[in-house]
Amino acid sequence: MSEKFPGYDVLGQADRWDDVTKGVVLRRLGPPPALRFFTPDEEAVVRPLVERLLGLEEAPECHVVEQLDAKLTEHVGPGYRHDDMPEDWEVWRQSVHALEEDARKRKGVAFAELDAGTQRQMLEEIRTTDGDWHGLPASKVWSRWMSDLCSIFYSHPLVWNEIGFGGPAYPRGYKAHSLSAAVEPWEVHSVDALDPVRWANRLAAAKERQR
Amino acid sequence: MNRVRARNESAWLLPNDGTRTNHRLRADMRRYDDTEEVDLAVVGCGAGGGVLTQRLARAGWKVVAFDAGPFWDPDADWVSDEAGSHHLYWTDPRVIGGTDPVPLGNNNSGRGVGGSMVHFAGYAPRLHPSDFRTASQDGVGVDWPISYEDLEPYYVAMEEELPVAGQHWPWGKPHSYPHSPHPLGVDGELFVLGCHRLGIDVRVGPVAITNGRFGNRPHCIYRGFCLQGCKVNAKASPLITHVPDALAHGAEVRADSMVSRVVLGEDGRARGVEYFRDGRPRFQRARAVAVAGYSIETPRLLLNSADARFPDGLCNDHGLVGRCVMVQGAVQVAGRFEHEVRMYKTPPPGASTEAFYETDPNNDFARGFSLQTVAPLPIAWAEHVAAEGHWGHVLREYMRDYVHWAVLGTLCEFLPLPHNRVILADETDRYGLPVAKFLYSQCDNDRAMMGAAKEKMEAILDAAGADDTLSIERYAHLVGGCRMGESERTGVVDSELRTFAVPNLFVVDGSVLPTQGAANPALTIMALAARAADCMIRRRD
Repeated sequence: MSEKFPGYDVLGQADRWDDVTKGVVLRRLGPPPALRFFTPDEEAVVRPLVERLLGLEEAPECHVVEQLDAKLTEHVGPGYRHDDMPEDWEVWRQSVHALEEDARKRKGVAFAELDAGTQRQMLEEIRTTDGDWHGLPASKVWSRWMSDLCSIFYSHPLVWNEIGFGGPAYPRGYKAHSLSAAVEPWEVHSVDALDPVRWANRLAAAKERQR
Repeated sequence: MNRVRARNESAWLLPNDGTRTNHRLRADMRRYDDTEEVDLAVVGCGAGGGVLTQRLARAGWKVVAFDAGPFWDPDADWVSDEAGSHHLYWTDPRVIGGTDPVPLGNNNSGRGVGGSMVHFAGYAPRLHPSDFRTASQDGVGVDWPISYEDLEPYYVAMEEELPVAGQHWPWGKPHSYPHSPHPLGVDGELFVLGCHRLGIDVRVGPVAITNGRFGNRPHCIYRGFCLQGCKVNAKASPLITHVPDALAHGAEVRADSMVSRVVLGEDGRARGVEYFRDGRPRFQRARAVAVAGYSIETPRLLLNSADARFPDGLCNDHGLVGRCVMVQGAVQVAGRFEHEVRMYKTPPPGASTEAFYETDPNNDFARGFSLQTVAPLPIAWAEHVAAEGHWGHVLREYMRDYVHWAVLGTLCEFLPLPHNRVILADETDRYGLPVAKFLYSQCDNDRAMMGAAKEKMEAILDAAGADDTLSIERYAHLVGGCRMGESERTGVVDSELRTFAVPNLFVVDGSVLPTQGAANPALTIMALAARAADCMIRRRD
């Protein structure tokens, strides 16, 4: 996987951000909190689960599991609960146990002992399940997983570098936002903009890796 | 003094030194004692409550506006960051159900002074004249007890006070806007290009974001984080458009105060509200009460205010409280372009078309939809990608391609249906109050419309040169739940937003809308509040 925005570092702009925003964003670079929500047994399932769901084999270290654990400990919810689902933190705990149970029953070993390909296969089966999985609506479990993980992962400035995002923009604002000039002097052009054929190739390669 | 300033000085009461809050005005705010009978207690300080408070304070009323959340200071409380803005949303427990459950929280529910307008995108269109008579004209929905003409002067007033920027508007009743249109981002340019190639009429705006200095509010700086609260004071919310003037005229905004009950006297009239502040239960006496908590919390408060006279909930003799809550079908379609788009730079609200707003006999559904640019930031973009079932390496690849995508959204006029309602759940919140349960299920007309809107967006992106598309099914906005009607058998409130059941109790928020059109609701809610204020002042005189 080659870099798409070679040399881009959004943190180079941090001294142009307001102090309150800087405080919130830079905190994500600090040491991660210790786990409080997940037991060691659950942690053993959650780590590979998160790695597979976000494709973390190649990624900057940004402590997704620790951030997730903190969120579940603090009961930070989205502002609603489906009437056929328990609270978010319960969804995580129950689904982690269910995944481990599936692994042991069907593959004879712990989820963590399976190779990445087999783990992906098991997860894809859950994603495509109609109706319930271990008593919970499979599609809603899947949405909860992806929503919680994406909102943690894509809040990290090192991950913004990977996607070319310009990040916070107050009080500076953006100047280049038209077809004739879409990239600020401090941003880095997408490699694809120079060679558009590469989008289809990149996507095909990602799909291959996912198999 | 100019015309707008003469009726609402808010924009001139903000600081012009680069900070965003007039702390002196807040420190000097008049404070009423619980035992003093104020003229009006307003529950909720968003689009409805904020405007109502300002209008009545100007007319000399003693008004206390309660809000369960904080009295925001954009400098200290808001950030240019998606994940760091969770505190702007109403995240107290709520339950959702039905065949098409509607997520709440960040999607449609605000908390704190300014309400959900603090994190709304900024689109401020009017309804069309046809929206007020869909039953007689299109055979669906219900007719309003008022007409477009009743609301029109208040639309004009609000567009001046926010102010709204945009091109001349050719749809509904054609009209102009006080501020000229903003420059578009690349996603907006591509939307306009696609529409032009297909012969679809499209316009820039209408957005409640300053384009030029307005009082002490500066020009928009194009930073893209409109949905995270505007740190610039450029995007309108009642926090800056109406609350400052209300304070200057003697109103009190009582933040961090959760109203738990509207209390009636033996004479059947409201005598005040019970609320919690700093953990203590309190009671504010008032000559009249206006509930402005929006489509979930307003019905919840009325239902939680049941007493011997109203055993099924206040004003609920006919089972109408909490009924016919509406959301708009808001599918979004993303298109991939060779050119870099970087849609995160300009305000997400760029351009719109209302060319498909009205009933078209060639369609297999009644009423219609609007199309707009939406421009999700990375976390919202990840939801798009995940909604198509992508995960792992494929998710990451789509995400890495973020700067190449432009996203369009629709607002489909879903119909008011009695089974779409707010009731009380068995569980309680931290105050011990039963929480709201919101049930939602679409009808065939809703589904057919959403399918048509999705096809139209795909065609526009295709015409603009997109080489790949993704889509996500979602919902936007909330209205209804305490609709206005001709009589107590058809509405909770009358055309002046006064409840039929209690003569000095009003509902002044989005929950009074009988139908919703395909327009973002903020401007209509504000216009209705300004009109209700005029009615209240006239009635008292």
